[in-house]
Amino acid sequence: MKPFKKLTAAAGALVLAVTMAACSKEEEKADPADLGTLTLMIPLLSGDAAAPAVDGEMHKAVEALTGKKLQITWVPNSNYGDRMNVTLASDNLPEVMVVQGKLPAFVQSAEAGAFWNLTGKLDAYPNLKAENKQIELNSSINGQVYGIYRRRDPMRAAVIVRKDWLTKLGLKLPETVDDLYNVAKAFTENDPDGNGKKDTYGLVIPKWPGVYATASPYDVIETWFGAPNGWGDRNGKLVPGFDTPEFLEANRFVKKMVTEGLINPDFATLDSAKWDTPFFTGKGGMIVDVSSRAGVQLRLFKEKDATGYGNFVDLTGNLTGPDGKKRSYPTVGYNGFLAISKQSVPTEAELKDVLTVLNKLSSKEGQILLNNGFEGKNFKVTEGYALGQNATDPAIKTITNDVMSFAQLGTASNGYLAYVSLPAGQPEREQYEKRVKFHKADEASAVHNPAQAIVSKTQVAKGAQLDQIIADARVKFLAGQIDEAGLKAEIQRWYSQGGQDIVNEMNEQYAKFKK
Amino acid sequence: MGKVRLRTRMVRYRWLFVLLLPGLAYFAVFRYAPMYGLTIAFQDYLPFLGFSGSPWVGLKHFEDLFSSPDFPRVLSNTLILALLNAVFVFPAPIVVALLLNELRLSVLKRAVQSAIYIPYFLSWTIVAALTYLLFALDVGPITQLMNDLFHARFDFLADPDWFRPLVILQTLWKSVGWWTIIYLAALAGVDPNLYEAARIDGANRWKQMWHVTLPGIRSTIIVVAILSAGNLLDTSFEQIYLLTNSLNRSVAEVFDTYVYFLGITQGSYSYSTAVGLFKAVVGVVLIYGVNWLARRFGHSGLS
Repeated sequence: MKPFKKLTAAAGALVLAVTMAACSKEEEKADPADLGTLTLMIPLLSGDAAAPAVDGEMHKAVEALTGKKLQITWVPNSNYGDRMNVTLASDNLPEVMVVQGKLPAFVQSAEAGAFWNLTGKLDAYPNLKAENKQIELNSSINGQVYGIYRRRDPMRAAVIVRKDWLTKLGLKLPETVDDLYNVAKAFTENDPDGNGKKDTYGLVIPKWPGVYATASPYDVIETWFGAPNGWGDRNGKLVPGFDTPEFLEANRFVKKMVTEGLINPDFATLDSAKWDTPFFTGKGGMIVDVSSRAGVQLRLFKEKDATGYGNFVDLTGNLTGPDGKKRSYPTVGYNGFLAISKQSVPTEAELKDVLTVLNKLSSKEGQILLNNGFEGKNFKVTEGYALGQNATDPAIKTITNDVMSFAQLGTASNGYLAYVSLPAGQPEREQYEKRVKFHKADEASAVHNPAQAIVSKTQVAKGAQLDQIIADARVKFLAGQIDEAGLKAEIQRWYSQGGQDIVNEMNEQYAKFKK
Repeated sequence: MGKVRLRTRMVRYRWLFVLLLPGLAYFAVFRYAPMYGLTIAFQDYLPFLGFSGSPWVGLKHFEDLFSSPDFPRVLSNTLILALLNAVFVFPAPIVVALLLNELRLSVLKRAVQSAIYIPYFLSWTIVAALTYLLFALDVGPITQLMNDLFHARFDFLADPDWFRPLVILQTLWKSVGWWTIIYLAALAGVDPNLYEAARIDGANRWKQMWHVTLPGIRSTIIVVAILSAGNLLDTSFEQIYLLTNSLNRSVAEVFDTYVYFLGITQGSYSYSTAVGLFKAVVGVVLIYGVNWLARRFGHSGLS
């Protein structure tokens, strides 16, 4: 009987301890007045690499530069959006968090006062002052700036093509959408890989994870055909891009390609993480995406063929539309922003402190550290490029991976001051210069979204749901599940389920902006 | 009088009550306390304003849900999957267990049992990856086999008509082994004397199964049925989510994915909580419904 009693007493004590621990955990929170430590939440991009170690060289260098102890939550990029929404719903926000765009939950929280309104505050910091006011406005919520935008190249769209296939069939890089069709047709029917079988197709399109107007290959092609980029100004009124004749024309074009087998038949289900595979393994010959994917392809081919890898990947910029006019699909110029929590950074003095840190990180010295790493260690400067070196040394590998992660913390809204990182090698160099050339050339014909800065209430509440209707309808139309009348009916469904409210609210705001 | 007796009984069995505490604490802390969060279904919840600061809106989100054009679609998708589960997945392990029970060679029996049990330990992500490999358009082995057999071009992964069969197949493959073990355990408890008696009375194998085996595991079947009823609307989230694409979303969207999409992707915390609460209420009603039915038909049920 005795041991039994003891046991139950112990069990009782344990329960008590557990419940008490559960309670005390609730009260334990980051001390907002602690100015020595900065808490951050940053997406972790490098797929296979681990998050930078706290005692790693890179982490320590950033701490030394900022004079703060850094407490960073690295969240895998693939579910960063989910994690951000969950974090916003909690009551323990990091002081600084990367926000990857105007997500509904962020807009609601920001407008309720959860984040510092930085409008007009940033100009006092030389390295945070926006180099391009238009981009800053684009990143704002109806003109209110809630974060320091992370600068990106204004132009990135490209057509990536199998160079060896072009050479084999004696074709030129496409310049117009008709060329795109013809090259795709040749890639499908003329046996570009020379194995005697008809087992190739022209264009590779994956299952697109985003909704409408999220830089999918469809969105880019629609822009080439003259459809608005997301929203368009037609006769002074904002109209959604999918409710235009050009949208239909572009998708008829893509549908023709699907029907004739010029696009991979599993375009509705192919995992977007495996987008590179068909191109690399010689199943599909073209990709419409950001130009940096050409660099990814080059790396893949380099692993296979260390000497001749330059003969497989070629690229070109945006294509001319059927009317002979060139319209280019630009980026929004930024990739999300760094937002500062009001709950964790309650006073103006603390805000100033945080902004000073971010200002330091965006200085030339800070940008080089975040984007390139340590000169002489993991890179050397040649003709203005940061060329990787000692890449096989495991310690250097760690640094290179950590740099890739920390680059996400960089804003460069004052302009990009670091070096362009390139792997050593002539093909890489040539490809990069080609990319820059096309980007520059396309900037003049960029089709911007006039509604970039405008956020409508209904859009926030229902936008994702509604835009899914369009994204699904588009794929259904291309796959032949619905016809053109069905596509139009789905667009009408978008209007009737709340889209009309969005159009009205957008135009209301738009009228104010145009003044 | 009764009160006094209760107290003396409590004193006498005090250590049993102490033993009860850990369980109670678990339910209080991890099951009941979080339910406080359900209040946001009746608010326009904004995290920054918190539970107390967010404005109350009463049943607005429920009205929105029931009048939403998505509602009939999501509800019917969920119910159809639940029904298919009840019809195909629920009886499958009983059949498999009965078949295994008839096996004479115990080595073979154990081998089969283990083999069909293994998939239960795989995550849905792996099951989805296998499905994509096997059923991929034009190149998947099963797709090729079916194409050759029927001289057609099957698009299992994108065709909405194939979505439900795929889901049921996946569920069967993954879960049948596990439930089979439960039924086999019940079968082991059937008194061998009954079989002997039945044989003496001239019952053949079929009759023995019908009159001895099945009645012997009836109570287990009913308990499993009641427990499953509560999960009837719990279409496994990962399973559905990983199989969904633009072409089959019209049949694939169920409450679980809908709540995820609204709450996590779109950040409509209150609305998605309202949807989740509705689903939970339906689950409770189903549990009580099946339990009531079981008792109506003269079985003991759960309570």
